[in-house]
Order: sequence, then C-alpha cells, then structure tokens
Amino acid sequence: MAPMITKLLMVLLAAVFAAAAVEAQTPAPAASTWKVPRTPDGHPDLQGVWTNATTTPLERPRDLGAKEFFTEEEMVEVRKRAAQVTPTVERSGEVHYDFQQFGLDRSQAQIAFSRRTSMIVGPEGRVPPLTPEAQKRAAERGEALKGHEFDGPETRPIGERCLVLPNEGPPMMPAGYNSYLQFIQSPGHVSILQEMIHDMRVIPITDRPHLPANVRRWLGDSRGRWEGDTLVVDTTNFTDKTNFRGSRGNLHVVERFTRLDAETMRYEFTVDDATTWTKPWSAEMLFKKEDVDRIFEYACHEGNYGMGNTLKGARAGEKTEDASRTRK
Amino acid sequence: MRTRIAIGLAGVVLLLAAASVRAHHAFASEFDVNKPLTLRGTLTKLEWINPHSWFHVDVKDADGKVAEWMIEGGSPNAMLRLGFNLYVVPVGTEIVIEGYQAKDGTNKAVGKNLTLTDGRRMFLGSSAPGSQPDPKQR
Repeated sequence: MAPMITKLLMVLLAAVFAAAAVEAQTPAPAASTWKVPRTPDGHPDLQGVWTNATTTPLERPRDLGAKEFFTEEEMVEVRKRAAQVTPTVERSGEVHYDFQQFGLDRSQAQIAFSRRTSMIVGPEGRVPPLTPEAQKRAAERGEALKGHEFDGPETRPIGERCLVLPNEGPPMMPAGYNSYLQFIQSPGHVSILQEMIHDMRVIPITDRPHLPANVRRWLGDSRGRWEGDTLVVDTTNFTDKTNFRGSRGNLHVVERFTRLDAETMRYEFTVDDATTWTKPWSAEMLFKKEDVDRIFEYACHEGNYGMGNTLKGARAGEKTEDASRTRK
Repeated sequence: MRTRIAIGLAGVVLLLAAASVRAHHAFASEFDVNKPLTLRGTLTKLEWINPHSWFHVDVKDADGKVAEWMIEGGSPNAMLRLGFNLYVVPVGTEIVIEGYQAKDGTNKAVGKNLTLTDGRRMFLGSSAPGSQPDPKQR
C-alpha cells in the first residue's frame, strides 16, 4: 500500500471513530399500499429519470469477509460520510480539480444508498479470477500498445475519445458524476438514455433471436422480455473494442430491472464469458428516482479539446527528449 | 466489531475518493503537475461544452501586456446542478485561477479552482451568487 494511501486511510479511520454517535435514522418502510404503476399496455412503468450514484463498491473490501450487508446502525455512518464534502487529496503526479468545485464532490449528488457492502452478491463479493487465456490476452494487448500510447487518437482509450465510457455497459455502472439514466417506454421497446456520455439503448421487447454472430455493436445486441413485473434484458454481440473488466466480444449480460417502490428500482446483472472468467458472477444495485423530468445533454466529442491537448503534450515531450538526447 | 466496521467503511470511502477524481481523460497526460500557476484576469468567454467547460481569460502581465489563456473547468452538466450557469459569472468578471499549465507549453491550463478577486468561491459556499445546490437534487 502506498504511503499516501496509508496516511489517508488512517485519517479516514480516525474520522469514522470520531463520528461514532448513532442517530435514529431508519427510513420509513415503503407504504404497503404502493402498487407498481403501469403503462397503457399493462407492463410496469419504469419511465423517468433515475440515478445510480452509489457508495457501494463493485467488489467488497477484503476486511469485510463474507459480510454482505451493513446493519442499519452501520448505514448511519455510511450516510453521514457520504454527506461530507470529499477532501481534496493532492497526489504526486496527479493534476486534478478541487473536488469541492466542478460538481465532482459526492456530497453534492443524490445517492441511491444500498445496505450491500459490495454490488457483487454472494459470500465472496469479488470478481472471479481471470482465466489464463484472458490474462495472456490482456498482457499481449498491453505489450502491443507499449510505447505507442500517444501515437494518435486511435491508441487512446475509447472513453477519452468520447466513443463510449466504461460505465455505459451493459452492465450499466455509476459514472462517478452525472450518474443519471432516463427510461422511456413505448409499445414493444424500452429505451435508456445515459447522461454519460450520450448513448440511447433501444431495447426491443421481443422473442426474436440475437443478431448473427458476425454483427457486432458497441453496446451489444439487447433483447428484452417481461418476467412478471421484472424487465429482463439479454445482451450479446459486443465488439472487441469495449472492455468490461477484461471481457470484450464474448461478453454475455443478463440484466433484471424491478421497481420496488415509488422511488426505488432494483438493478441486477449476471455476466458470463468463459474465455475471461472462471465462472459467471452477479451484482445488484439500486436506482433512485429523481424529481426531474429530463437530463442534460452530454455532447462529448464536439468539445473534446482534451484529446488535442493530450497529443500536443506528448509531441512537446518528445521534442524535449530529442533535444536532451542530441545534447548528450 | 467496531474496528471491523470502521475499516470496512474507510475502504468504501477510499474507493469513493478514487472515483471522484475520475475525469473523462487522465489529467496528467494533458497538464503538467510541475507547472503550477496562479492567473488573475478578465473573463472574455465561457465555452459551455462537455466533456469540459473552458474559461477564456485575458491575463495582464506586469508591463500591462495582455495574454489570452484558456482554462479547463468541469462538466457543465455537473456545474448546472450546483446552480452555476453562464449568468453567474458574466464576461468581464475578474477571476483568479489556481491550476496547472498544459504539457504542450501553450497558454492553456486546468483550473484546480476558480475564485472571484475578493476571494469568494465560484461554485460552492453561500457567498457566490447562485452557487447553492438545488435542494431538489439532494
């Protein structure tokens, strides 16, 4: 563990101990009279703006072992910490904003709290190990890119190029900021607009099979169906350009969306890819309803001066290196 | 038991802190941590664009010579949710920027923070006009 991280951990530990006072903060149970709202064709109405901003990490911190849920008492601490302004940490080599500015501070966003200690369900709470094949694949990719990271836009990460961000999935993960999803339903389709970074998932409700294997899509090919009041979405046919924790074209995702009450939706997903993980794994998080009727546009590519600046920075660095080499 | 909880929570908070700094690109590949700077100047234009806003500022040196600078800010979407918009800081406002210069050595920088010349912060705190988060977004 890096010394800086250790120091931060100590500070945070002290803060947690200091904030030991327990408040009565049991959320009122959802009214038992609540009934899932329905669209004219009789399916659950998932429409509206939801946030998936969370305090729950994907993988469980190791010291929590097999503990899958925080108690209500522990949740008081989790909520209290989330409401605090994120301290700005200066780290060597890292150039960044003051967290308290520009909306990067968690305390400024609504959070969909969950008692889960990790999104990944089950006693392990961790992503299963990569298969030897996946490890070899990742190493080869890394080796091929080495020394060419700044050659041009093509060798930069796809998120930096504003193509798709890793949070878009599926499976859909919190974006870090601007973590908002807008659901729109029409007969035969459920569409999900993700603010980060602009894509609309248009999911047909159909029993048609997936596209042929040679047709590949950035967000995969999704097929939806209703199982009772749960929307189940099965997605395959990804390209090799996206990367969900080591899984690319062979990723298979099954997502389940269930409204729990007026302001909560449960989102579950199971991913499998025998060429990447030693076994399938599942995770769960909550979406919280936002009291707004639209999200903001996030046109990413048009204003992406960052790409030009990054490449120009690399060229300037090469010139400096060349000059110092010539001097020697 | 208490210790275990505390450690677990600290772990969670650490992860959050790490996630908070995530931008759509690596700052360190665009800006130089070894070139910190403080600029004081007049806002001439605010580009309200994603993934990052850009503040254009005229900065006068000691001899009165004006240099044009471009300063990278946060996502306008996130800033709007803080209650910030184009009218909070109109063109002509004097601002102070602490940040880091671009690696290519031109007059571009990332704004670590932006304040008004009287010290008021532009995005947080009760002092800046219109900078209160919308309570509905809490």
